Amino acid sequence: MVLKVFRWSPGSRERLQKYWVKARHGMTVLDALVELQRNSDATLAFRYACRVGMCGSCAMVVNGRERWVCRTLLSNLARGPVTVRPLYQFPLIRDLVVDMAPMKNKMLEMKAVFVPGRRAMAGDGFAQIGSRSRERRAIDAAIECIGCGMCVSACTMVSHDPRFPGPAALNRVFTLQRDSRDGAHAGRSQAVLAEDVLTRCHGQANCTAVCPMEISPTDSILALRRRAVLRLLGIGPR
Amino acid sequence: MRRMGSAEAWRDTKVGMWAWLLQRVAAVGLVAVIAAHLKNPFARPVQAALLALVLFHGLLGVRAILLDFGLPVRWHRLLFLLALLVGVVAFAAFWRWRWY
Repeated sequence: MVLKVFRWSPGSRERLQKYWVKARHGMTVLDALVELQRNSDATLAFRYACRVGMCGSCAMVVNGRERWVCRTLLSNLARGPVTVRPLYQFPLIRDLVVDMAPMKNKMLEMKAVFVPGRRAMAGDGFAQIGSRSRERRAIDAAIECIGCGMCVSACTMVSHDPRFPGPAALNRVFTLQRDSRDGAHAGRSQAVLAEDVLTRCHGQANCTAVCPMEISPTDSILALRRRAVLRLLGIGPR
Repeated sequence: MRRMGSAEAWRDTKVGMWAWLLQRVAAVGLVAVIAAHLKNPFARPVQAALLALVLFHGLLGVRAILLDFGLPVRWHRLLFLLALLVGVVAFAAFWRWRWY
């Protein structure tokens, strides 16, 4: 099987380098990359950790689609050469490795950080929200984000407008705005009303289509938008 | 960065993006067709194009509004398909009904 792997290092030109790998039964794209690195080209750089579809650190673009390469079987891909590229929208560090810091910075810009409020403590400990409560069910899926960055890579609006915070940061904002223990709702509500935030999402749902945790950041953004409209009309929560 | 000019960037264009893109293309098309329609309101091909583009643009807009108002995003592909189907049926119905 032919693998066309994106190669780049500081000072060199971007290129797709061809490698030949003997595909075995049950072989994933990550297995193929590891084999290449061990046997063919030790300079090939890529990031992975758990290898079992848990950590999300091996997110890449395979045949044009964002995927976790540890979960992507070669046999499930279309016939022909397999193209492996780094995630889009992130600065390159080397080969298939990108700098994830911009995603974290967007979260900080959107104040997507838990700030304990008046209801954060209950008795001697941290207040808990029951798993069956309405509050918890509203954000149940959205809190599963592990920050792999695939939604950001797939988002055409991030590509179009660098000031747009992107689906991961806004999904995080949504979970915090619905958390009654958080004490920074007002500041965050103000942040999402900026010109390039909620209005910039065009609902294409690319983020939802690629999320390996089956989260729908689009739903989170639309929920934030409805909340913002109600707030502007003076009839919604802060 | 994703370079929209490259073939690979469009290789995995998803349904939601097509819906968004086609609605914009229909809007641009409408500007041209409305201008042609104002010059000669009786040209049948222009009437057909106007009807098709209005339906297409409007129904995709209804899809976006329904999602905005809280319909789950997991339904967006179905809504896209419905918009296309309703558009075709409505076009056929209007076109058969000669109102002048």
